[in-house]
Amino acid sequence: MALWLHELRLFARQRVAAPALLLLLMLGSMSVWNGLSEIAHQRDVIERIQPQQEADISAVADFVTLDGDPGYAAYYTYHATWDDPSDLAFAALGQRDVAPYVLRVNALALEAQIHNNERYNAELALPGKFDWAFVLTYIAPLVLIVLLHDLASSEREAGRLNLLQSLASNTRTFWIRRVTLRYLLALAVIVLPFLFGAAIAGSSIGDSLAVSAMTALYLTFWTAASLLVGRLRWNSAANAGVLAASWFMIVLVLPALAHLGINAAIPVRQGVELTLAQRETVHAGWDKPKPETMAAFGELYQEWRDTPPIEGGFHWKWYYAFQHLGDVSVEDETLAYREGLEARDRWTRRVGYLLPPVALQHALHRRAETDLRAQLTYQDRIRDYHGRLREFYYPFIFNEQEFSRQDFARAPLWSR
Amino acid sequence: MSDSSASQAPIRIDGLSLSRSGRTVLSNLSLSVEAGQAYALLGGNGAGKSTTIAALLGLLPAEGGVMEVAGIDPVEAPEAARRVIGYLPENVALYEQLDAYENIAYFLALGGARPSRAAIDEALDAAGLEADARRLRTADYSKGMRQKVAIAMALLRDVPVLLLDEPTSGLDPRATADFNALVRQLKARGTAILMVTHDLLGAADCADLIGFLAKGRIVEEVATGPNLDVMALHHRYGEAAAA
Repeated sequence: MALWLHELRLFARQRVAAPALLLLLMLGSMSVWNGLSEIAHQRDVIERIQPQQEADISAVADFVTLDGDPGYAAYYTYHATWDDPSDLAFAALGQRDVAPYVLRVNALALEAQIHNNERYNAELALPGKFDWAFVLTYIAPLVLIVLLHDLASSEREAGRLNLLQSLASNTRTFWIRRVTLRYLLALAVIVLPFLFGAAIAGSSIGDSLAVSAMTALYLTFWTAASLLVGRLRWNSAANAGVLAASWFMIVLVLPALAHLGINAAIPVRQGVELTLAQRETVHAGWDKPKPETMAAFGELYQEWRDTPPIEGGFHWKWYYAFQHLGDVSVEDETLAYREGLEARDRWTRRVGYLLPPVALQHALHRRAETDLRAQLTYQDRIRDYHGRLREFYYPFIFNEQEFSRQDFARAPLWSR
Repeated sequence: MSDSSASQAPIRIDGLSLSRSGRTVLSNLSLSVEAGQAYALLGGNGAGKSTTIAALLGLLPAEGGVMEVAGIDPVEAPEAARRVIGYLPENVALYEQLDAYENIAYFLALGGARPSRAAIDEALDAAGLEADARRLRTADYSKGMRQKVAIAMALLRDVPVLLLDEPTSGLDPRATADFNALVRQLKARGTAILMVTHDLLGAADCADLIGFLAKGRIVEEVATGPNLDVMALHHRYGEAAAA
């Protein structure tokens, strides 16, 4: 124990060590605070949407109940959906700052509603998010490199190496102790702000332990890389240069190249293209013969096949039928879009077998449920909810039932 | 060479051969140093003096021959050998951010020793480091002061063997005289001392034996004493170094 304290004192009095750790602690704390603030803001938005939703429905009800037209009720009533952040999302925001986490949908064609919101300011998105995962992935290795690059070379350059080796009762233990001290200090400095944030966010112990374990593994990789370079017995400046170049390649260049390669190899149509395709089908529905539209719809919903034929120019049931057929018409494209995204995600995970920063980000976002899979799951839940909404409105529309103020309260609610 | 019946000598080298980067540095080197004796190993640059020290510390693998330090083979058991060796490198580099007490406490802790403050003071007194310098960070220490700290470490460890690598290079005459006096004190305690040096006068002042190293082997070994002709020795040393 005394030796550890001696090592700690020696380490603490080094010129660069304490400032480097302090910087990491500061950035880690700021990133946690930033993540907690962002998630608090998202929770606040989600909380605020519910009373506003009630006020909005009340206003729609005032209008609709003038004549009880169910078509207007389905048309003007927007139903709120939201994707609650996990208790770990503060640490790895993932796609939560670019993908929508709140979406209000009505009973019209859905796909356009989903992908209409799939837009963000590319310039703001480019620098990425300043979350804890960012500090861990990009900054922590640099600090570890600062602490470890000259572990043996500085002793050799100072002329102390032989003296140290002559005095240490076990030179292997001596080096292990030095490396372990630096590793543990770096680990503590990056993990402590996270654990503090996790306690505030109410993260589970399992999640906290899992993230801490990922952090330990990631820092182990960079420690091993630093020691490997140190074994080449180059001078401290050369060690620092090689390690900085390795960091640049492993953390920045290779993941970016892999990203470009994956995107080129797996082309995916953008969500906006789905929106356009669906809208074209929907708009074409106005010009199609109504019996044709109703027959196609009747194939999907046989319970409404035998409703009275449409007379006159417009009927809500025809309108909602071709809205739904718009969604059906892009089912294949939607599936292909999804499969493309999932394939890219799978390949990103495979790239992680070679590039630890990619693996770390992927694992953190998965654990925090802020990744692509979480986004697609939210979209699936919206589709399911939209189906229940349509099935709630269809009896009113197809049976031409009056829609009362009480019926608004009977509409399916989004469940957390 | 110094004593054919030196199997009990704390430092014993017999027929040591060693190469570095494909170049033969030591070739059939033999010497021994008894307890309470100082052996000065002189030689030109690249003669293999510091390599001999490194080999005794077990830091370099021998290709042939036998070495023993207090009965321990440093090739077989380098860490056990180091435990009985006090080593002073040419430039004693301490941790500049620590003071003398902290340096000594740290370095000795590496070997498992935890000397008291009083014991450290006693050793520093013996080594001759002024009391008011001990609390200062060693960044401002002279070479002589750093050596005194290292000598104090050797005293505290109470090791039977001391290896000194160019101990007086860069020291002023006063500091050199202080150091030589310290060597004599250590001899009186029974320490076997092997010092490699260019300082023939200093060696003649404090060593019992002087060995000239050339081409990796001892080419001449002389005992010091009142009858030693230092100038003649200096002349031969110059020739040996040139060879």
